[in-house]
Amino acid sequence: MSRLIMFHARECPHCIAMMPHVDRLEKEIGVKIDRLEVWHNEKNADLMRSYRDIIEPKCGGQLRTPTFMNTETDAIICGEVEYEKLKDWATK
Amino acid sequence: MKKFWRCHVCNDIHYGVKPPEVCPTCSVQKAYVETSSEEAQKISGSTTSLMNKVDFRQAIELFAEGNEFQINSDQERVETLLEGIFNNERNHGLKYCPCRMITKNFEEDLKLVCPCNFRIHETYADKEDGECWCGLFVRRKNNE
Repeated sequence: MSRLIMFHARECPHCIAMMPHVDRLEKEIGVKIDRLEVWHNEKNADLMRSYRDIIEPKCGGQLRTPTFMNTETDAIICGEVEYEKLKDWATK
Repeated sequence: MKKFWRCHVCNDIHYGVKPPEVCPTCSVQKAYVETSSEEAQKISGSTTSLMNKVDFRQAIELFAEGNEFQINSDQERVETLLEGIFNNERNHGLKYCPCRMITKNFEEDLKLVCPCNFRIHETYADKEDGECWCGLFVRRKNNE
């Protein structure tokens, strides 16, 4: 079963900027996006690191925040994007 | 391979592939001799040099001065980032970028210490409005 994850960091301005889009997406299309904070939660950080091979090639060779990941399709989005792009990621 | 070097005149410590020709502290030529990491750490650790957010802000402003980039003019953003940088130093040992995640490979993670080598990153290089990934440093406009 697919899981939609947002790896984010508390003091990351890109992540803060994307939160309203995530709220809207959950409300509008009824999906659940797991918001996993990575700098203050080691378990979440380990989970993000476990997806290095999938995330890094699509994020400039690094683990960047925010990273949006669909665990079923491995679809990845990094950084700040428009709402419609985030919606595409969540619904495909 | 990088090594530690000590100026035999003033105990200046250098970490690099080779020593400086001239010691930047005492100006003596060919003054460096290779030393151990243990000795280098003891010498550099003998001076307390605590750095708070204000000090760090001044340090990066000085770093940006005369360069083709500057600190982001969005003060709220800069404050958020500085908070993250210092939380990361306290919780994870170094001033890691708050918008990326460490891999737990120390050598690899040194690339994430702020300021990082952002000028080679795709978010900055060859971009008129380039910035580092987190947006702390932005390319200076012609009139700024």
